[in-house]
Amino acid sequence: MIRAENVTKIFTGRGVTVRAVDGVSTKVDKGEVVCIIGPSGSGKSTFIRCVNGLEKFTEGHVFIDGVDIADRKTNINKIRAEVGMVFQQFNLFPHKTVLENLTLAQRRVRKRNKKDAQEKARALLLKVGIGEKESEYPSRLSGGQQQRVAIARALAMDPKVMLFDEPTSALDPEMVGEVLDVMKTLAREGMTMMVVTHEMGFAREVADRVLFMDEGKVVEEGTPEHFFIEPREDRTKLFLKQVL
Amino acid sequence: MIATDKVWPWKLLLAVILIVTAAGIYGSVSRIDYEWRWYRVPQYFLYKAEDVIKTPFDGVVKNVSVSGSEAVVDLVSLDGEQQQLIVDGETVKVDAGEDLFEGDTIGFVYEWNMGPLLTGLWTTMWISAVSSVFGLLIGLIAGLMKISKNYTVRTLAAIYVEVIRGTPLLVQIFIAYFFFGTVFNLDRNVAGIGALALFAGAYVAEIIRAGIQSIAKGQMEAARSLGMSMPQAMIDVILPQAFKRILPPLSGQFISLIKDSSLVSVIAITDLTKSGREIITSTFATFEIWLVVAAMYLIVTSILSQFVFYLERRYRVSD
Ligand SMILES: Nc1ncnc2c1ncn2[C@@H]1O[C@H](COP(=O)(O)OP(=O)(O)OP(=O)(O)O)[C@@H](O)[C@H]1O
Ligand SMILES: [Mg+2]
Repeated sequence: MIRAENVTKIFTGRGVTVRAVDGVSTKVDKGEVVCIIGPSGSGKSTFIRCVNGLEKFTEGHVFIDGVDIADRKTNINKIRAEVGMVFQQFNLFPHKTVLENLTLAQRRVRKRNKKDAQEKARALLLKVGIGEKESEYPSRLSGGQQQRVAIARALAMDPKVMLFDEPTSALDPEMVGEVLDVMKTLAREGMTMMVVTHEMGFAREVADRVLFMDEGKVVEEGTPEHFFIEPREDRTKLFLKQVL
Repeated sequence: MIATDKVWPWKLLLAVILIVTAAGIYGSVSRIDYEWRWYRVPQYFLYKAEDVIKTPFDGVVKNVSVSGSEAVVDLVSLDGEQQQLIVDGETVKVDAGEDLFEGDTIGFVYEWNMGPLLTGLWTTMWISAVSSVFGLLIGLIAGLMKISKNYTVRTLAAIYVEVIRGTPLLVQIFIAYFFFGTVFNLDRNVAGIGALALFAGAYVAEIIRAGIQSIAKGQMEAARSLGMSMPQAMIDVILPQAFKRILPPLSGQFISLIKDSSLVSVIAITDLTKSGREIITSTFATFEIWLVVAAMYLIVTSILSQFVFYLERRYRVSD
């Protein structure tokens, strides 16, 4: 489903160059949930943003369903419609109601008519547990509710893959659970997911595979059992000791 | 100190300052030898035009009937052609049965016409309105160009903004009229509106650029991550949010444009300012006319400011 080959992202600016992502290769199969963990500044966000082309990488390839997204001939908008993304800061459209947040891209990109788009939107709002808020503006919702709307907005495009970049890091602790529950449901239903997270409990419970990144590189990769119980690398051990 | 600040002493102080200022001005003016002729001003707003109505052919007055302030005169020509003319009731010069020759005066009609101050105001308004519309378009395009990733596009827009903001509007109007106007054979109105629109556009471009850049980057990323194209994201997500934010500076810019438009009077466009000057050359009521002209600009700009203020408040409520 997703295949990354030697993805490298170098930021240059004001005389400094940062190898934010340094030769990352991995793949995510259909129905698989992969969690990416690692210390702050290790390049997790940058990497996951390369996967849907929000960040133009310097080297390497990302294939979505076999299509090379860095290829000039690829229509990136078409790819992105198949790859949902959820951000740490929710990024809901504040000038649109909850329902409009969910219907906008369906109508513009998927070219659905208003009725179909709204039907789809209402079903998804119900699914993430905020059916009654459809005509509110995002600023009237709690963080947890906003993030669930953001998940529903991505799902409304019927994506084949969902990318999550620390979806619970900006939330008050009491709201983390409701968002993780939605994500767990998705995983159970067989959604292919790539999740950058600091929630070790979630990674342990839901992930099929865990990637540990440090300084732009994948240091260790394995099943949660292997990863949390008998990590090989010293850096992984040190990191786990700090966060667990 | 007393925690509750009373407003009325300050209002009183304000009134005193204003009254003293006015009295001071009045005192200074009365010391110079100037004859105020305020009674001359109203005719430059509205005046009654007199139009003479004449007989179109040789013939006879068949009937004269006065109804209200109007008189209806029925004429028959020598070869039987009928005609009805309407004149002001008090000015009828003919009676029934009278013989008339072509060109005889039957009476007068009076009509209220807009004086030069109102026609000038009208010119100022439509020139400002048209310039604002084009200025907004130019500014939107230049503002979007300024945030383009393409170096050439970005730099072109930056040069435009720098050139316009770095030169006086008066000089721009002269160049638009005498240089471009001559080269491309432009009408003075086109040159004037063009200069004003380009001038406003440069400032609008900066306002729009700042407005767009003030919208969090995550908004564009969220829209693009859903598969929306760059123009779709701009139109549906970024610009509506940016416009809300730039409404106050933008409307301020357009209100300024109404005042700045007075400079087009130098290329003989008869706007409010030019009308004022023309009236003065024939009446020498210099003080009165300039004060009235200033008041007229002030009234228009304050009405617009109040309207914008109202819009802003309405918007804030919908948030
Ligand atoms: N736009 C940018 N320009 C320059 N450097 C950047 C940019 N974005 C990220 N970086 C740098 O790239 C490195 C990786 O950043 P990234 O945000 O991917 O880390 P992260 O693993 O997501 O960290 P966190 O857990 O704090 O979110 C950091 O050193 C960061 O300073
Ligand atoms: Mg990050």
